[in-house]
Amino acid sequence: MPKRTLSLLLFWTLVFSGYSAEPEKSVVQITNYSQTPNWVQPWRFNRVGAGSGTGFLIEGRKIMTNAHVVSWGKEILVKRYQDPKPWRARVKYISHEADLAILEIEDERFFEGMEPLAIGDLPYVRSTVTTYGYPAGGQQISYTRGVVSRIEMHSYVHPGNRAFLTVQTDAAINPGNSGGPVIQDGLVVGVAFQGIPGLENAGFFIPPSVINHFLEDIEDGEYDGFPLAGVQIQPLQNPAYRRMLKAPNDSVGARIDTVLPKSGATKLLQEDDIILKVKDYEVGTDGTVIYRGNRLGVSVIFQEAQDGESVPMTVWRDGKELQVDVPMRVFHEDKRTGNQYDVLPRYFVHGGLVFTPLSLDYLRSARASSEELIYELNYRRREKPDSMREEPIVLASVLQHEVNANMGVRGQLLVNKINGVQIDKLEDVIKAFDEAKGDKHVIEFMGEGSFECLDREAATKAHEEILATYGISEDRRL
Amino acid sequence: MKKSILILAALLLTPALAAFGQARPNGDKWKASVIDIEITGKSYDYIQPWSKSTRTLRKIGTVVGEREILTTALGLNDNILIRLQKGGRGRWFNGEVKWLDYHANLALISSDSDSFWEGLNPLELADKDFNAEGLKIARWRSGKMETRSAEFYEWRDRLSQQSFLSYMHLRANTEADGLGAAEPLVDGEKLVGIITGKGGDTLSAIPYTFIGPALKAVRAGESPKCGIFDFTWQPTRNPDTLEYLGLKGEPRGVTVIKVPEKKGRKSVLKVRDLILEVDGHKIDNEGEYEDPVYGHLTIENLTTANGRRAGDKVKIRILRKGKEMEVTYTMPAADYELDLVPDHIFDQEPEYLMKAGLLFQPLTEDFLRRWGSSWTTRAPFRLKYFRSKESTEKTPSLVVLTVVIPDPINLGYEAIRYQVVDKLNGKKIHTLKDLVAAFREPQDGFHIVELMKGSTAQRLVIDAERADDATQRVLARYGIPKDHYFKGEPTGGGLMRRPVGRRRGGD
Repeated sequence: MPKRTLSLLLFWTLVFSGYSAEPEKSVVQITNYSQTPNWVQPWRFNRVGAGSGTGFLIEGRKIMTNAHVVSWGKEILVKRYQDPKPWRARVKYISHEADLAILEIEDERFFEGMEPLAIGDLPYVRSTVTTYGYPAGGQQISYTRGVVSRIEMHSYVHPGNRAFLTVQTDAAINPGNSGGPVIQDGLVVGVAFQGIPGLENAGFFIPPSVINHFLEDIEDGEYDGFPLAGVQIQPLQNPAYRRMLKAPNDSVGARIDTVLPKSGATKLLQEDDIILKVKDYEVGTDGTVIYRGNRLGVSVIFQEAQDGESVPMTVWRDGKELQVDVPMRVFHEDKRTGNQYDVLPRYFVHGGLVFTPLSLDYLRSARASSEELIYELNYRRREKPDSMREEPIVLASVLQHEVNANMGVRGQLLVNKINGVQIDKLEDVIKAFDEAKGDKHVIEFMGEGSFECLDREAATKAHEEILATYGISEDRRL
Repeated sequence: MKKSILILAALLLTPALAAFGQARPNGDKWKASVIDIEITGKSYDYIQPWSKSTRTLRKIGTVVGEREILTTALGLNDNILIRLQKGGRGRWFNGEVKWLDYHANLALISSDSDSFWEGLNPLELADKDFNAEGLKIARWRSGKMETRSAEFYEWRDRLSQQSFLSYMHLRANTEADGLGAAEPLVDGEKLVGIITGKGGDTLSAIPYTFIGPALKAVRAGESPKCGIFDFTWQPTRNPDTLEYLGLKGEPRGVTVIKVPEKKGRKSVLKVRDLILEVDGHKIDNEGEYEDPVYGHLTIENLTTANGRRAGDKVKIRILRKGKEMEVTYTMPAADYELDLVPDHIFDQEPEYLMKAGLLFQPLTEDFLRRWGSSWTTRAPFRLKYFRSKESTEKTPSLVVLTVVIPDPINLGYEAIRYQVVDKLNGKKIHTLKDLVAAFREPQDGFHIVELMKGSTAQRLVIDAERADDATQRVLARYGIPKDHYFKGEPTGGGLMRRPVGRRRGGD
């Protein structure tokens, strides 16, 4: 399927390259009225904020923009080129990983006189590109021109824990440009999306390979995501290490350092396998391949696959060459270590104690600097995967009431056990409270081993009152 | 706390008047007792542990006895030269450390020179009748004795300057600035304490109550060690928790939440014991007790109160599973190595082992301090995280591969640094000596270094046969004098180990 789609897109490219003499007519200004939840008091919402960005029409009456332009959107308004009328839009598909989104507009009149822009190819370094957008909230479209400075794997700020292919340009890309097309020869060669504060003349855009991956992914009406190979690759440049692994020659092949459990590679690849080739790309000793003239980490090839697709690899193991087809899988387990969007935090309140899953969003909102929490979120998975809990739960806050006023804790603690039951996920908290028999609930925390008690009867009795006092309409969100 | 201040004030009214009557100008009575001390010590660069330099600092000492100058232990570690000056000017005399204790933060310095002691007079230690409102701080400033006033504020336990040990300090309000160099806090001709620092308007001083028993023991030829409580407790204000633990009657006590897991150390306390009394002192829910003289102090102060020290037995009354009972707790000595990451390694050059350009160092806070004054936030998380862990039988200490010094033998590993070593050649690694032993057993001609799971790379392999040649090459090319330094070995590098003062004095 992906191959066919690619060629289809290329076809459109040819057809439309003639049409796009005035790409600005296909570029829209987007205003997003958004509202984020409060992760410390998860039933509450923060104030409504307004943000503006850029988008552009692509084939299929889709408006493409950045995910960060429309995240947490309550009301999204779109304006056409030189047209003051706002049109209501809604998010049809969103990839927070790749910072891309597709909006749809129900009113067909919106599309009158607008031609979709076609997606082109990865531009060459040193070639010239033009960005189209509405930076700094201006009413008029703005054009900036620059050259492609370099192409490399770069972390995407929006998810916070993913890196994809990124193109750097010296064309000015400012807030408000986000989601706008970067155009070369009438074709979209990128979506402007991020900059680095303090780094001048450096804007970044998302290249066609990532855009196309997203578009192919949603062809079946569902977004799956960008898969990972499930391996960590390390350079294999030390002569002794190469000799120990009986590596075939000195200039090819990097070493598989770690194979992630429960990944597509788990049974197929092993630590210390030498990865020689991925598809037809020869892997250098530092784990890079030459991809369209750029030396890039081999993961650029893995990321081309869709969820579940296999990527053929040639590996060297025990002095022999092996051919392996490694299925690429979308990895969700680390989502809490990145920014999460559009999904309201789960929580449970009992006796004024607020429990919620540990996440980066929580840590940031709570301004928590506890080493225990940081370790649990970012390090335990890699260091002690066996002791990893499905969904570590924190006591986010304690809503002051006489039943809990004497507790020595006020929140920001990882919950170990409640009434003797190990807490692996939020549902365990509810179950532990529901099924309690003793007079006191006993809540044990991780770290030093501190614990607190709560009178069972008094907590149950105070429950409604606490909810009413703090304006909590539901004691849980699951 | 307020109550105790009132009592003190009442007690001290009479001597205060007396002191006023005797007052002489410009602190004459302290001139013969306050000594300037200049300490030169070795300072180490943990980035290049073989490289040494020196540091010099000035502080103050107080003559407290026959050829005895009392000061804090701060800055006396790794000293190579101690010089003493009396009268705030003139000749410097060589001194030497007679006794010091880093946990207690006290030291006695002496000098072999008879002429130094001429004209000096010891100050006596104060007692409970000191004048709380008429305290003075005495120090030399440009050859003149400067005296500043201070007013007693409270007794409070505070962490010792370089230790996890907490004991009762005296706190007093003063307008004097730049304090913390062990300036004597005096009442008339009596030493009330030596000053460790000032925060806001309040200075902290190690009081005579703590100094007295220590001096007594040292003079009796003993070498007392401070004891500690090696269990962790939590304040227990919550009546529900007290009820759950089975306490009847008035709320009191704190709960034990952690006991050490060290071999040969069976804890008499258990997790969830409610501590009701320590040495007959009733413990409240905050972990404090009411001392009839000093007011509210925390349990920790009972480790050192009344001259108590390591090895002493402490009666602890507890509630365990609803039953009251008494256990006898024997205090272990305060020791930096109780922690997985020791706070300090004093009087010893930094240990290291360099093999084939791979530099291994023990994980200590001294090492982490190389990240500067904000090291607790700036040091790598995976290293500083271990600070909250205690040294256990399974993991007594950690070794870090701190840097790879580039050489052909370690090609490809240059970027690996600050990773905890798990195994070498299949052997578990806790110390540098473990490494030495494991390096003797290469695997089929290779040394295989395994780093702790979650590291940037999990494994490094180097050529075992060429490793020693490479070590020599790295030593020569990078100007490193030696491939290792282990605790207790004679030091290289030409700096004197013995205090210069003693050598000269003995001539």
